Amino acid sequence: MKSLITFILAILALTACHDPRELTPAPETIFTENGLHVITSFHNNLTRTISVLYGNDDALANAGKERDAHTPGEVLKLITWDLKQNPLWFGSNINGRVQSVETVTVSAGPSGPVIGYAKDGNSQKASGNAVSGNAERISFIFAQRASVFP
Amino acid sequence: MNALEKHRYRNAAAILAGILFTSFVVLQANSPQIGNPPVTSEFHGPEEVTRILKRSCYDCHSNETNLRWYDKVAPFSYKVAADVEEARKRFNFSEWDSIPKADQEGKLWYIVNMIDAGRMPLPEYTATHPSARVTPEELAILKNYVTGISQHYAAGDTARIAEKARAASVPKSINGIAYFDDYKNWKVISTTGRPDNGTSRIIYGNDIAVKALEENKILPWPDGAVVVKVVWNSQAPDAWGNVKPGNFNNIQIMVRDAKKFAGTEGWGFARFNGLDLKPYGKTVSFATSCINCHQLAKGTGFVFDIPTRPQH
Ligand code: HEC
Ligand code: HEC
Repeated sequence: MKSLITFILAILALTACHDPRELTPAPETIFTENGLHVITSFHNNLTRTISVLYGNDDALANAGKERDAHTPGEVLKLITWDLKQNPLWFGSNINGRVQSVETVTVSAGPSGPVIGYAKDGNSQKASGNAVSGNAERISFIFAQRASVFP
Repeated sequence: MNALEKHRYRNAAAILAGILFTSFVVLQANSPQIGNPPVTSEFHGPEEVTRILKRSCYDCHSNETNLRWYDKVAPFSYKVAADVEEARKRFNFSEWDSIPKADQEGKLWYIVNMIDAGRMPLPEYTATHPSARVTPEELAILKNYVTGISQHYAAGDTARIAEKARAASVPKSINGIAYFDDYKNWKVISTTGRPDNGTSRIIYGNDIAVKALEENKILPWPDGAVVVKVVWNSQAPDAWGNVKPGNFNNIQIMVRDAKKFAGTEGWGFARFNGLDLKPYGKTVSFATSCINCHQLAKGTGFVFDIPTRPQH
């Protein structure tokens, strides 16, 4: 009898562990924006990532426009998470763990604006010709247009 | 027990049996009849899909209800009849075209997710009709089917989308929940991309909601918690696979007030469509359809889009 009860409990415990709908909040994935605003968001099924681009007032004001010049003072942050299937709804994908935080800053230099790029704290300053990999990321981030909000 | 007591006991038992038998007969005589109204616009899908739905769902969600004899015996017949009536009201495969095309697709995703969650067919029904169970292989067929029919992308680049008229005054839902702008200063609690209906979303939570997540106090969520979801139509993926938001589609709000919204599990619902933020729902009962589907997220306090990890 005792072993039967243990057996049943074990089965229950096993099934409980494997129920994909039994979830605990994972608040560590929430980004603290510190006064920045959402500019836009996008997801990618090839890289299985989902991102939100934040910016300060200056960056937000410029992200709605089509222009190449950037004004000193702009700060942009691109947060990228893993993309996972929503455990509660087949057909929806939701962000998982944070993969990276990229920061682009525009500051005033002696000969025009200086663009700074940092990924997860490894900052690299570049005026004019940035390190090529970074230059690609910088122009990608600059190219994002603001989402239309009501 | 002496002889007299035994006698009394036997009499009482006989009377009781008589009452039970008579009520049983009366119940049978009044047992609800389930008619099968004509099939007007039947659901058409690939054969393998239709076969699964016919076997597992048509007894309740169609006009081709095929009850076994034991479904017709009272008191079970009462429960079965009520289920069939409610199921046909929710959606009816025999009158499929009576709902708009876009809604049909939404229903199909709802259908797949109800099976996925083990909510359909009703468990009390599969207990007596085991052959109606949907196997994992069959569920995979259905998932494939809905994925295949839903490939939507909106045209256009966000920046070039013409700004439409904006709401002149503050729009208000029929249940009193008004639109507000303050969510733009809240934390983003999650972000989602939905291949199922071709939309991209950002979900915001107010301080109370974020704190509830941080402290894992969401069963139930505290009063005052508010969750806002902004929905855009997705653009087609660019050369690198990035799917970006296109036109603004709608905004949806959930407000926690356990007393005020007791009828919908303590959540007040509101939805505003288009840039002019047209309130959705003609009567307050619109929120019933919201909470019915949000029951699938019961384990996280009826909120789908929160950051989570498995419990173990
Ligand atoms: C024994 C009757 C019965 C069977 C069989 C049955 N359902 Fe249901 N269904 C119901 C009832 C009753 C409701 C409403 C109450 C509820 O949601 O539990 C419902 C609700 C639903 C809903 C929610 C619809 C809405 O708009 O609220 C979906 C989706 C659904 N069923 C899908 C299915 C699918 C798919 C099958 C077959 C795999 C199925 N049902 C088989 C009785 C049934
Ligand atoms: C057929 C199912 C269904 C119905 C009906 C439904 N929802 Fe949802 N809702 C979802 C799903 C699935 C999600 C999460 C997926 C996503 O949007 O990325 C969601 C998410 C939400 C969210 C974001 C918070 C959360 O729970 O994730 C809000 C707010 C919301 N819905 C409001 C509403 C309102 C208001 C209505 C009624 C007008 C409604 N919903 C009706 C399925 C439904």
